[in-house]
Amino acid sequence: MKIIKSKRSEIFDIELNKDLLARNRRLAKENRKRFDHSNILAIDIMGSIGSGKTSLIKSILKRLGLGKKVAVIAGDLTTTIDAERIEKEGARVIQVNTGKECHLDANLIRQAIERMKLGGVKVLFVENVGNLICPGEFPLGAHKRVVVISVTEGAYTLIKHPYIFREADVIVLNKIDLAKAMKVNSFQLEKDAKKINPNVPFIKTNALSGMGVSKIINVLGLRT
Amino acid sequence: MHEFSVSSEIVKNVLDATQKNKGGKVLSIQLEIGELTFLNVEQVTFWIIELFKGSVAEGAEVKIKTINARIHCKVCGYKGGIRSGQKNSLRHLALCSCPKCNSFQFKTERGQECVLRRIKAVK
Repeated sequence: MKIIKSKRSEIFDIELNKDLLARNRRLAKENRKRFDHSNILAIDIMGSIGSGKTSLIKSILKRLGLGKKVAVIAGDLTTTIDAERIEKEGARVIQVNTGKECHLDANLIRQAIERMKLGGVKVLFVENVGNLICPGEFPLGAHKRVVVISVTEGAYTLIKHPYIFREADVIVLNKIDLAKAMKVNSFQLEKDAKKINPNVPFIKTNALSGMGVSKIINVLGLRT
Repeated sequence: MHEFSVSSEIVKNVLDATQKNKGGKVLSIQLEIGELTFLNVEQVTFWIIELFKGSVAEGAEVKIKTINARIHCKVCGYKGGIRSGQKNSLRHLALCSCPKCNSFQFKTERGQECVLRRIKAVK
């Protein structure tokens, strides 16, 4: 911080030059170091409200059967509904309520991992707040970023929100069993995905029945 | 999309720095916001003015400069600004592609900042 006094000594400038968004990126890097140090694979699950993020995590946990070797940070505005749903699958769960906030940030994750006992944990899922815009701007330090959308959100989800999909390591199209009823062409959505992010794995799932879930497990390298 | 929380952090930083430097009143603040952030300048200005009320910064002028984006396209090699239909809006979200080849595969070199540059205060 630099103070510059003007000739009229009562007025002065406080030079701050502080980038408030850079702080999040810095904290995300610190979180990543912490995960690496503890040998934990961290996966950020982003996606719209109701796209099936919690169902997908439950479905993955069921198939992995790793019990308490998996930890989940469940982000939500005010409720604990998702955390309770996930807990039933035997993973360690910690709830992070953001209050009015539309996304999780690296600082909230840092605080959560400080509260959580991570000893013995191999995989950490972070379920972000349901939103296709803000989480894209706030990296958390995860190794992989998965974006979950569903056919019930319509045919234009990808092309309307390209930013978050550019950042994705895996794109999941959920509720694929409803595509016909919704008159949504899943191949067009896949084409949109490849246009935005040419090499991204695009996986069609039905999280409730488990269809496609093992592909996600393979792509994320979760098979031990 | 997260103007309220970012504005709250800006206000907190302004008030802390002013107090630390024994400022009695804040006259103005200067911010720079990148074109590729998801921050709407009008909303940020509104929230800062609102949150300043009742503090030593009430009535301070909020100056915001836009930092133009600079990208490096991984497909065609283009280096430069990004097409942005309307300034200070979310329009760029649908247009975050290379202006030369329309690829979405680019590296952002500039335009993701939200910088609190300086505060003008009076003793």
